[in-house]
Amino acid sequence: MTAPRRLRKELSDLQENTLKAFRDIKADDDNLLRWTGLIVPDNPPYNKGAFRIEINFPAEYPFKPPKINFKTRIYHPNIDEKGQVCLPIISTENWKPATRTDQVVQALVDLINDPEPEHPLRAELAEEFLKDRKKFVKNAEDYTKKHSEKRPAD
Amino acid sequence: MADGNGLPAGAASGGSIEAGQTVNGAVSASTNPSTSSAAGAGAVAGAGAGASGSGNQGYHQLSVTIEEASLRNNGFLKPNPYVELLIDSKSKRKTDLVKNNYLPKWNEEFTVLITPNSTLHFKVLDHSSFRKDAMLGEKVIYLAPILRYFNGRCEFLELTMDLFVTSKSDNRQQTKSGELVAILNGLKLDMSKLQVQGAATAPQNGNPPVQAVNPAIASDVAAGRSFEIYQGVRARMRLRSSSGNSNGAESRSPLPNGTAETRRTAPAPPVWEQQQQQANQTPQPQQPLRMVNGSGAAVPQTAPYPQQPPAPVLARPLTQVYGALPDNATPAAVYLPAGAGAVAAVVPGAPMDQQPGGLPISQSTDPQLQTQPADDEPLPAGWEIRLDQYGRRYYVDHNTRSTYWEKPTPLPPGWEIRKDGRGRVYYVDHNTRKTTWQRPNSERLMHFQHWQGQRAHVVAQGNQRYLYSQQQQQPTAVTAQVTQDDEDALGPLPDGWEKKVQSDNRVYFVNHKNRTTQWEDPRTQGQEVSLINEGPLPPGWEIRYTAAGERFFVDHNTRRTTFEDPRPGAPKGAKGVYGVPRAYERSFRWKLSQFRYLCQSNALPSHIKITVTRQTLFEDSYHQIMRLPAYELRRRLYIIFRGEEGLDYGGVSREWFFLLSHEVLNPMYCLFEYANKNNYSLQINPASYVNPDHLQYFKFIGRFIAMALYHGRFIYSGFTMPFYKRMLNKKLTIKDIETIDPEFYNSLIWVRDNNIDECGLELWFSVDFEVLGQIIHHELKENGEKERVTEENKEEYITLMTEWRMTRGIEQQTKTFLEGFNEVVPLEWLKYFDERELELILCGMQDVDVEDWQRNTIYRHYNRSSKQVVWFWQFVRETDNEKRARLLQFVTGTCRVPVGGFAELMGSNGPQRFCIEKVGKETWLPRSHTCFNRLDLPPYKSYDQLVEKLTFAIEETEGFCQE
Repeated sequence: MTAPRRLRKELSDLQENTLKAFRDIKADDDNLLRWTGLIVPDNPPYNKGAFRIEINFPAEYPFKPPKINFKTRIYHPNIDEKGQVCLPIISTENWKPATRTDQVVQALVDLINDPEPEHPLRAELAEEFLKDRKKFVKNAEDYTKKHSEKRPAD
Repeated sequence: MADGNGLPAGAASGGSIEAGQTVNGAVSASTNPSTSSAAGAGAVAGAGAGASGSGNQGYHQLSVTIEEASLRNNGFLKPNPYVELLIDSKSKRKTDLVKNNYLPKWNEEFTVLITPNSTLHFKVLDHSSFRKDAMLGEKVIYLAPILRYFNGRCEFLELTMDLFVTSKSDNRQQTKSGELVAILNGLKLDMSKLQVQGAATAPQNGNPPVQAVNPAIASDVAAGRSFEIYQGVRARMRLRSSSGNSNGAESRSPLPNGTAETRRTAPAPPVWEQQQQQANQTPQPQQPLRMVNGSGAAVPQTAPYPQQPPAPVLARPLTQVYGALPDNATPAAVYLPAGAGAVAAVVPGAPMDQQPGGLPISQSTDPQLQTQPADDEPLPAGWEIRLDQYGRRYYVDHNTRSTYWEKPTPLPPGWEIRKDGRGRVYYVDHNTRKTTWQRPNSERLMHFQHWQGQRAHVVAQGNQRYLYSQQQQQPTAVTAQVTQDDEDALGPLPDGWEKKVQSDNRVYFVNHKNRTTQWEDPRTQGQEVSLINEGPLPPGWEIRYTAAGERFFVDHNTRRTTFEDPRPGAPKGAKGVYGVPRAYERSFRWKLSQFRYLCQSNALPSHIKITVTRQTLFEDSYHQIMRLPAYELRRRLYIIFRGEEGLDYGGVSREWFFLLSHEVLNPMYCLFEYANKNNYSLQINPASYVNPDHLQYFKFIGRFIAMALYHGRFIYSGFTMPFYKRMLNKKLTIKDIETIDPEFYNSLIWVRDNNIDECGLELWFSVDFEVLGQIIHHELKENGEKERVTEENKEEYITLMTEWRMTRGIEQQTKTFLEGFNEVVPLEWLKYFDERELELILCGMQDVDVEDWQRNTIYRHYNRSSKQVVWFWQFVRETDNEKRARLLQFVTGTCRVPVGGFAELMGSNGPQRFCIEKVGKETWLPRSHTCFNRLDLPPYKSYDQLVEKLTFAIEETEGFCQE
């Protein structure tokens, strides 16, 4: 029962000390191993919306890292069309059982706010980001307006 | 290895592809270009892989039942007719033969892949034991006009065709020689999206086909009347598509052997008809059930809990004759996960319609065509939704007493649910005449067919494997005196062993269990000195051992000792444990020759015959291998593929080992699985218990693998290193976890190397893991649930975790596998080898198949003719095998190719092909994303530059910029 105990603790910690950039954290009613939450980035061009993500924990958590998937479409060099993201902190090489979900989420928020075009999943966006920042920002803003969720009121 | 290089295996394998059948001219005229270009197996794979977007122009599955024929009586002897069916002049299928009959009934069903423009060539042949089989009559059926006629539907379409023979003498005139009745079923195409060939390519020997569907004709056909499609081919629907009246009674049951029980109305409707009727009673517009190859992308994936749906499994009991299973008593019933307790008792062998809702087929539509099933959709009869302890939803099927994470979908067409004599539920696939324990869904079937379609590729791979030639001299056995003193210190012989002395006083050992003999003492084998290769010592000399176990020689004549062997001709230099120079002893060649020597000295005379049919390779082999006493499997093998009789000089059995190993290791059967997403070695699947007879199969596979070693044959795909270590009875360590589960390993190491008291790990002496979506809980020690892991006790925790990780869920299976193995080849014989060498002798050395690699590579911002891409493949082709392997490892994280070839390369989120993407500038180095099998290849300016950068990246910068 390692995973559920640890997750219950992490979940209640996260719900008590809310992160400004990660809201609306819930575990599925019928499944403590699946959480959803809302990423609320600060930096343009993503600060006009909010992005729903899903975190899936394996039964062997914390021996195995969780997986993250974007449910909301996003125009970002590090997130592909399917919502997959390559986040170093939860990669096989880097994962540590002491890594907590709030750290994972923080790393994700940082990546959203400051894309890393050197390690792109979508090379064409990375190129645009590097060569024509204006155009990139405009495209990303339009995309955000069109697809993202509403930001929480406060 | 006398039989090593007889017939090339390819000679036999050719039978499965059937390229060059001569058929009359009309056939080739209407052969779809796409079919003729792709050879049988490849085309199947292609259709499966290129799933999305290929639409209706791809391959479709059609069931063809060859029912009966009436043949003209024109001889003294009655014929022994059988039918050959060729699709587009390829993929030959054969019925059994019926002896001495003018009115043969076969009732055999074949599932074939067709395009809308395919031809079906039926040939009725007379089998003769002495002569070439004679043609009794043939007919080519063009699918296009039939599809147009019936608006794309072939459902219980009875075709009656005139058979013709071409007279040899009489001006090659065609004469009618009889009639053949066949049923086409399970096909429905949307004609509006099809490019069915028009009149231009219409059959040349028939009337112009009907161009449009005539409603009047269609309704006549629906009413069961027969219509001539074109000359000599008549068709009628066996069953009206609206729910039946008068004509229903007239319809014949297409089920071969009257297995369908009597129901309310007289002629028993087979399963699929029922489905269809049920489906037609529901209000919404219905799509009839079908199974279209290649549309797998549309399959809804409904896995409520795990991130990935549970591994697709298709474990099947090994009874290929349907209906036979209930009689074959098999080991105790094992049911799927929870929820079985509350189930009402089921009368074993009760007719299906006495059970509540015999078939869990609901009103829901074709899984291929519907989107995600709506949650409010009613469950089939006998099903229930429950919640587990985590509050997760699962589905209980009270009919079969099994549980599923997935919402039930109807059975694919041609499938039936049955119970065996012990009330265990199994599924019958009338399309292929196979049975399985696992409820099928279209995705599993797709996988299964894809797997089967790879056989040609498998055989091709088999011909690429090599090992050192084995023409080396065998060590000559020379008499040696074993001193009595040595014996006593070793204690009694293992159970079943006996020590004997042959006439020249040489001692040998008999293993009565296996009926083998060997020179080595089984108590010391592979670990201590063996005297096989040595002659007697000169007088006055003695062999002794140091405390460290090293051998030395005492010369009592001169009272001196030496490590040097005094015997003439004894190899000089430091000796290893086997008494030959260490350097040589370490060589793989030497070890191999030792092992071969053991095999040869225990060979039995004569041979055993194993006769198999390609379609039922697994079952046939299983029954024959398990029926024989294990020691018999050491006789020379004589393998026969039915219908391809030829002498087995080694080529056939080589093919058999390769194909069967591909088949039994098929992850679809759930017996074995890949070690992890980046390691395509196989290991025992903890979920194998979904197949109630899994232990029997593991025993079989143990025997089979031992046979491969014994007979010096290769298998298709290897096991994990820890599995080989298990075979060698080596202790597994924490390091072994790394090869099969690097994440788990890293975490365990982290726990070992860090102070864990202050980081809130929340670790306890209890663990969970998941099998088929079910969480299995394990206490590492008594009351482990309540004991927290601390700095103090973490050593114990790590030891327990290591042991658990390496054995969880597979203990019994491993044990049975080893038992089966040991019956044929005593495990002690393996002790010469380490695990890597074991893999090498079992699998041979393998070249990376560059063709397959290239074929299954995708490009982003490049295309296949981009300069850099061309250079890349030029580099891959020109470089040596080792570099290729390292390049592959650089990009995918492994140098092994999956069992199914590059088409099955997996990424961290499921299938992910090898991908080359244009990224960056020419000054950059190539980068890789192992989780996506992707190579970021900058647009280099020249071939030399590409080679230089690529070589640098894969050789100098291990792990460079990998993710």
